[in-house]
Amino acid sequence: MALALRRKKAGGASQPPPFRQASKWIDERLGLSKFAPKQLSKVFPDHWSFMLGEVTLYCFVILLATGVYLTFFFEPSVREVTYNGSYAPLVGTQMSAAYKSAVDLSFDVRAGLVMRQMHHWSALLFVAAMVLHLLRVFFTGAYRKPRELNWVIGVNLLILAVINGFLGYSLLDDLLSGTGVRVGYSILLSIPLIGDLAASLVFGGPFPSPAMIPRFFALHVLLLPAAIIGLLSAHLGMVWFQKHTQFRGPDRTEHNVVGTPLFPTYAVKALGLFVLVVAVVAAMSGLAQINPIWKFGPFAEAKTVAAVTSASQPDWYMGWMDGLLRLIPGWETRVAGFMIPNAFWGGIVLPGITFTVMMLWPWLEPRWTKDRKAHNLLDRPRDAPFRAGFGAGVLMFYFLLLLAGSNDVLATIFSVSPENITYVFRVLIFVGPVVTYLVTKRICEDLQGTNAHPAAPGPNHLVIRRADGGYDIAHGVHHDDPHDLVVDPNNTNAPAPGEPIDKGPTSKRKPKPKPKPKPKKEVQN
Amino acid sequence: MNERHIAPAFIVAVLCAFGFMVTYGFDGNTQLQGGLLGGAFGGLGVGMILWAKHLMPNEEVEDHRHEMESSPEEQQEFNELIEGAAGDVTRRKFLSRLGLAAVGSIGLAALFPLKSLGPNPGNSLFRTGWAKGLRLVTQEGKPIKATDLEVGGALTVFPDNGEHRNERDSTIVVKVDASAIKPRRGRESWAPEGNIAYSKVCTHVGCPVGLYRENTQELLCPCHQSTFDVLDGARPIFGPASRSLPQLPLSIDSEGYLIAQSDYKEPVGPGFWSRGRRKMEDD
Amino acid sequence: MGFGRLLPVGVACAAVALALSTGSVDAADGGAGTPAQAGSQGRDASPTDRPGGAVGSGRENYYVPQDATPADLANPVEYGRSLYVQGCSTCHGLNGEGASDADEDFPPLIGVGAAAVDFYVSTGRMPVNKPMQQYPRKTPVYNGEQVKALAAYITTLSDKVGIPAGPDVPRVHPEQGNLAAGNQLYANNCASCHNSQGSGGALGQNYYAPRLDAATDVQIAEAIRIGPGAMPVYGPNTFSEEEVNSIVKYVGSLQDAENPGGLPLGGTGPVPEGFFAWFVGLGALLAVARWIGTRV
Repeated sequence: MALALRRKKAGGASQPPPFRQASKWIDERLGLSKFAPKQLSKVFPDHWSFMLGEVTLYCFVILLATGVYLTFFFEPSVREVTYNGSYAPLVGTQMSAAYKSAVDLSFDVRAGLVMRQMHHWSALLFVAAMVLHLLRVFFTGAYRKPRELNWVIGVNLLILAVINGFLGYSLLDDLLSGTGVRVGYSILLSIPLIGDLAASLVFGGPFPSPAMIPRFFALHVLLLPAAIIGLLSAHLGMVWFQKHTQFRGPDRTEHNVVGTPLFPTYAVKALGLFVLVVAVVAAMSGLAQINPIWKFGPFAEAKTVAAVTSASQPDWYMGWMDGLLRLIPGWETRVAGFMIPNAFWGGIVLPGITFTVMMLWPWLEPRWTKDRKAHNLLDRPRDAPFRAGFGAGVLMFYFLLLLAGSNDVLATIFSVSPENITYVFRVLIFVGPVVTYLVTKRICEDLQGTNAHPAAPGPNHLVIRRADGGYDIAHGVHHDDPHDLVVDPNNTNAPAPGEPIDKGPTSKRKPKPKPKPKPKKEVQN
Repeated sequence: MNERHIAPAFIVAVLCAFGFMVTYGFDGNTQLQGGLLGGAFGGLGVGMILWAKHLMPNEEVEDHRHEMESSPEEQQEFNELIEGAAGDVTRRKFLSRLGLAAVGSIGLAALFPLKSLGPNPGNSLFRTGWAKGLRLVTQEGKPIKATDLEVGGALTVFPDNGEHRNERDSTIVVKVDASAIKPRRGRESWAPEGNIAYSKVCTHVGCPVGLYRENTQELLCPCHQSTFDVLDGARPIFGPASRSLPQLPLSIDSEGYLIAQSDYKEPVGPGFWSRGRRKMEDD
Repeated sequence: MGFGRLLPVGVACAAVALALSTGSVDAADGGAGTPAQAGSQGRDASPTDRPGGAVGSGRENYYVPQDATPADLANPVEYGRSLYVQGCSTCHGLNGEGASDADEDFPPLIGVGAAAVDFYVSTGRMPVNKPMQQYPRKTPVYNGEQVKALAAYITTLSDKVGIPAGPDVPRVHPEQGNLAAGNQLYANNCASCHNSQGSGGALGQNYYAPRLDAATDVQIAEAIRIGPGAMPVYGPNTFSEEEVNSIVKYVGSLQDAENPGGLPLGGTGPVPEGFFAWFVGLGALLAVARWIGTRV
């Protein structure tokens, strides 16, 4: 498809218009005109849920841009300095240069705080959008052949994003994040056989080591972003090359892709989405305070070495791990002087199982479904009730763990003791996912074959009144009329002569205007 | 929807962008900066989306999806290409095995510098800075007399061994009614005049056990709610901690200040693999 | 347009998020009918300081005595005794000796000291209609003179028995304190229960450390010295007067804290921030995506 742009010739007939000049210049060097038209007319299905991956990508771009700005001001060093900036409660306090540079950025650099907040809010949104994107891919079965590799790359991106987020907010060396780093160190320590050596190697010595902050900086700014960019490029490249999946619909088959061509409309919409993501992040960064490190104070500094604040939680994407640490009772294995500490199970084993199963899922699911064909058409969740139920159950498990990780905050909000919340959650994390699985699976089975929205009122039933006065539901009949239709062949409800007419239960829902008249069922007398 | 409807979005963007420049110039507050940036990007984005949705072609187009799998001929050609060159290598068993050994040993050698990342843990997990005779001092360096704390008081203390305070040495000393203490065997002399000291490093994952519930004499860790009974050797009575907080043996020096009798008798803090394998030396 | 359905959902989510983040350190609600008080009640008392929100009952449930007459003011001990007998003796005994029944121990007040009386009564924690595990701040029943009279009377009870009178109402001079030193002392000793931002926290077993937004300078110093409820006791040999001044000065700065970044979201750290990111941020982005993309 040639993209003809008609332009009036500028000036005299000898000078081609500027775009043509530029296009020729590039073409002589890169041969762009040969492959650009085909690539620019690539078709992208544009269901709104396909934009979640884009939102994730744009949050990452914001992170890179704001992150670069932050690196110009942040000093990744634990060199001890005395604060002398404009935040009065800290003046004269000893602190690390890292913490001081962050407080200075927040108070004494113009637009510094808004940049810091944009970086942190978009980090939270980055992982949140990634999780939503993962859920969309999961519940629609987009990870099936030929996209298993892309799924694995995606799960690894999630792991890297979570780790990088943790390293990022720990860089600031404030009291809250420092407590979290202590927990991370202890989790490494809990690994059998090699834990003490592993912790010492990663942290550069016993906790808190002066090597921590500079190392975190190198990981957070250099190594992990490079890994993320590499994997992300492969991720996007595969989507480009394999073409995006699409939902079933008119004219859509396994062998075509229906949507909007990339240029111009889809590209403008994608860019517009990017701009709006920045807008939302910027608005949040002005509206809501995040990580007010000046209130927490510095970590492990000379005068506050063993301080801690109540309501110590990690950022939300690690909240589920904190929940595991809180819920697992004090089980510790001790054999012949060797010990497997409590933290090992919640800190290493369960997260390990989580991500391993997640990564292997494209190969695990066919064991049940026996479906090893390639798929380019997506399932709606209701089309795969087991997958939807399983996914919902697992999601509920991690959501409950996330809530359990805030048990002390929940305790103060609801005026309940944290102990009781812990006991309740210990039961709930087993019961909740099972119930969720059963309910979701059932809803999917009920919705199969219909186009009803899951949140819409349930399918209406034809209700038949028996001679003895009881009711039977006629299965498999679905109407669009919101009123239940009661067919009363034996007229058990007919009023006696002279009695006022009983109109029966009235529906509180207003009837939707009918698009076309439906034949009314007659009440037989 | 035409240009007249979309234009205001871009105008808002322009105004907000200039507004941001102005507030930046006057050192405006974060709310204004964020809001104006949001308005600028928002106006631009809304304008772009409206333009794309209403003024650009939006018909659905179909494109053919190529079969991912290559034709048998293409696969054959590719396989022959790789197998040809690779087979040439694998046929030379002697050389290829030596080559593998070279690569393998270099790979192994490359791992060695990782060891320099950190010291051997050695004794570090088994010892703290406490030693016989060292006074208990606060974070500010003030020594504590046995009579300083009120019954029901609690303080964080460190050994008086120099300016640098180490998190591992952190100890919480609590004053209770001496007759209420149920000392463990051998610890009868460790809590003079009701001053009882425990390691502040939680035995779960190492957070400072900073909460003292004075009316029930329990220490609580804020991270994961491990609760320790102060009168019973800091035994964990709730939460994920499985070991009591190590107790620091105290005594009183000639001037009435609290001092340590020795280092802790067991490793402080979270557990690790070889924790039970080394005997703690007495100072 | 799908906006129609999304908008109420988005508003509901934002409402949930904001509801979860109530309890900001800055919001010092004025109690209903707070009398203009002198002495230790200089500030509007919050109806409660439970981190999670109001539970206390109002002033209207208690018998509020008449204001002091000049004769009363001239005889504070006698005035205090009459107030005590009227409002406190049912639980604490006619002579402050305390009482014990099947369920509860009502503590004796002999020797508690003027600081304890002032703290409990000026914060409205006492009197109460029924015993509780922990007594939240609520609108005070007695005014400044009446509190002084009660304190004077209670002090005489210990004189009669010959035991020490307990801590007196401390003299606080926050302007003489050092803000940075107070910051460090607070971080080391107070933050683990009351939170770095002063928004309080759970202490387990249904105890809680209250929010500090409504405490006056004198009340803070009193709490430090008497260690009410689950709070440890920090006597003059633990914290000197200068150190108490510094802590009070620092808590004052927490109460007046500006939040340059925007809404403090309850001051409890990453938990409400996570909710805000999901419900407000992602909610907005979902709305945007649904606007841009198709629904089929």
